[in-house]
Amino acid sequence: MAKPVVRANKLLVGYGGAPVCAPVSFTLPEGRALALVGANGAGKSTVLRAVIGLLEPSGGSLTVLGEDVDERSVQFRAKVSSVLDDDAYFPALTVAEHLYLTARGHGMLGARELVDELLEEFGLTEHGRSLPTALSSGQRRRLLLAAGFVRPRTLLVLDEPEQRLDLRMRQALAERLVAEKEAGGAVLFATHDAELVRAVADRAVYVDDASSPLLGADEAADRIAAEPA
Amino acid sequence: MSDEWSPDPVPGEQHVTLEGWPAVAEADLGEVPSAVELRRFTRKAARTRAGASLGSLLGDVYYAIVVAGTGVLLGLGIAQQLRVALPPPPVTGDFSLSVPTLVAVLLLALAGGLLSLAGRLGPVGAGGAEAAWWLGLPVDRRALLRPAALRLPVVAALVLSLLVGVLDGGLLADDGGHLLRGALSGALAGVLLVLAAGLAQTLGASRRAIAVVGDLVMLAALVAAVLLATAGLSFDRLPVPTWSLVAVLAVVVAGLALLMDSRLARIRERGLRESGSVASQAAGALVSMDSRELGRALSDGSARPTRRWVSALRTARGPATALVTADLVVLRRSVRHLAQLVVTAAVVALVTVLPQLATELGVVVAVLVGGYLAASATAEGARRAEMAPILDRLLPLGPTAVRRLRMVVPALVMLVWSLAVFTALGHWAGNLPGWLALGIASTPAWAAAAVRAAYRPAPDWQKPLVSTPMGALPTGVASVLARGPDVVVLGMLPLWIAIVLRSVSPTLVMAQVVTSVVAVLVASSTSTKSFMERAMEAQEADRTARGGTAR
Repeated sequence: MAKPVVRANKLLVGYGGAPVCAPVSFTLPEGRALALVGANGAGKSTVLRAVIGLLEPSGGSLTVLGEDVDERSVQFRAKVSSVLDDDAYFPALTVAEHLYLTARGHGMLGARELVDELLEEFGLTEHGRSLPTALSSGQRRRLLLAAGFVRPRTLLVLDEPEQRLDLRMRQALAERLVAEKEAGGAVLFATHDAELVRAVADRAVYVDDASSPLLGADEAADRIAAEPA
Repeated sequence: MSDEWSPDPVPGEQHVTLEGWPAVAEADLGEVPSAVELRRFTRKAARTRAGASLGSLLGDVYYAIVVAGTGVLLGLGIAQQLRVALPPPPVTGDFSLSVPTLVAVLLLALAGGLLSLAGRLGPVGAGGAEAAWWLGLPVDRRALLRPAALRLPVVAALVLSLLVGVLDGGLLADDGGHLLRGALSGALAGVLLVLAAGLAQTLGASRRAIAVVGDLVMLAALVAAVLLATAGLSFDRLPVPTWSLVAVLAVVVAGLALLMDSRLARIRERGLRESGSVASQAAGALVSMDSRELGRALSDGSARPTRRWVSALRTARGPATALVTADLVVLRRSVRHLAQLVVTAAVVALVTVLPQLATELGVVVAVLVGGYLAASATAEGARRAEMAPILDRLLPLGPTAVRRLRMVVPALVMLVWSLAVFTALGHWAGNLPGWLALGIASTPAWAAAAVRAAYRPAPDWQKPLVSTPMGALPTGVASVLARGPDVVVLGMLPLWIAIVLRSVSPTLVMAQVVTSVVAVLVASSTSTKSFMERAMEAQEADRTARGGTAR
């Protein structure tokens, strides 16, 4: 039996006591992927922030890895890998060194080889010795994504990972996330990309002002496609 | 969601477990390095690529010491001159404060200011890269946060020891051991306050709550001054800290530091990120000498994260009134700026009734500084528009009209402020109607100064540097920073003359009307160049034109 990695029951999130969306309920087991879809500003990122402990839920219950969320716990940080849109870098560390810092910081053995592999996978080999400020916006996004995979994790949380990626990299990312599931990892991601939902998600939650039941991947992708541009 | 989904292991993937949970990892796991090792790795890389030579580092240290030393000597000189120039305290029972009481009130206000600042800055935070790349690591966060936690206490110790030293040595004429013990006590008290704020942060107190406590202490200093002066209570001298008190303070500080260190890892990541972000913004504003950005960093960062009430904007009947209404809403929503208006008016009024401070020079300084701070509080709408000129661009109004309309709210508010302050001036110098007329006449100049300062361009660092004993002075920056204060000084010359003469005449009121009109015209200009630069450009253009004609 797959254990539930994330369990949200009538989870209410918001700022200053004002909820940003209707309560959401879902369970994400090991080896599965759940997508949060919805319009801009619907509250997808806010839900993700609650899951990784950057925001206290306003109501309902939320457990990650069987416990209440507390990012101050070393064990929580060891198991939960998140890729938000943190476009901030140490000005003196190269691209490879950022990844090395993350890998070593999590106790990965053979960190240098691992970093080289990920640089190649994310098309950054030529930029390994560059400072992140010298990269394009899309390349910096790839660096952030690589950092999410360079460390061990039980739960991978991604906020609109498709942003600023070209088509080829989006396809590679989808394959990566499918492999993540197949390896037993749980993936929770917010997205506007119907193709990514179809390729990766097992279920989806439509985040909106009104609560909605869990959707299948195809149904969620259709709703994304139906959203006004 | 069904629980029967089961993961299918893929050959070739590494499978490890983390505390009973299966984990995906592309390599085997070893021992997690210590936080100190990670910090060292980051620092080493930074040092390798910093590009700063030992010579330039020593040069920076030299300039820092010279600037601090010169500042202290200047402050000491001014304080000593003040002590000599201040009139003797009047007979007991009159509305007055002795110099030691004034120093005590200043120290209390200073403590409140420090606490407020510590609250607004966190005081512990991790911003930018540190938040993104360090906070997610499964290491003891205390060691990662220790340098950030130390920064503000060290700065507080340095600043407080210097300020207390200047007040003690300058105004109270203490020297030798007294001065040393006073400065040491000041430094330790500064550290104590910041550590207390830090401890409150580890206990989950919000930055806003800590800042409000600091603001209340500052307000208490003002109230205490009024009450003491009203009651005619003054200290003849302040108690001199003994070595035993210094030792006790040091022990308390050490204990508090250890307690805070043990609790550093309890601060939530969200709080660390917010504090770090505010500190980075404030540090950037300081380096670029942008007081507007500094104000935004310190006020926005500690604002309550609630949704605002929706204003009906009933007074918006067209583009012009919409702009004025928007400015009014911004001001009404900013309690800090409203408090700033009240406090500055109260301080100026207090100065006019305290015999030791109510000299012509004291009143000029109080009206100038208090008035400029009050006027700045009224121009929040203009400052925000300078950063993000959304309404300026959306509304069908020309840039000059926008500037003039942005002066409406500051002028209205400063009119009320002036009525209060100039009533006090009328009591100080006699001829209340005359002073009220002068106050009303000067109102547009305050508004002009506030708007001119709000719309000043970013400092120009490419202009030539002028070498001074205190280091290089960037002239491009100085000329930009003078925009606003220049209007206060020059646009209110008749007011300053009236205060110095302690007399107001119809001629001075008329002259103030004229200079206020000129101030409004100057502040309505959208040119970012100084008068001298425009004159030189005109001269150059004229010369080019003549050369062309000659050919």
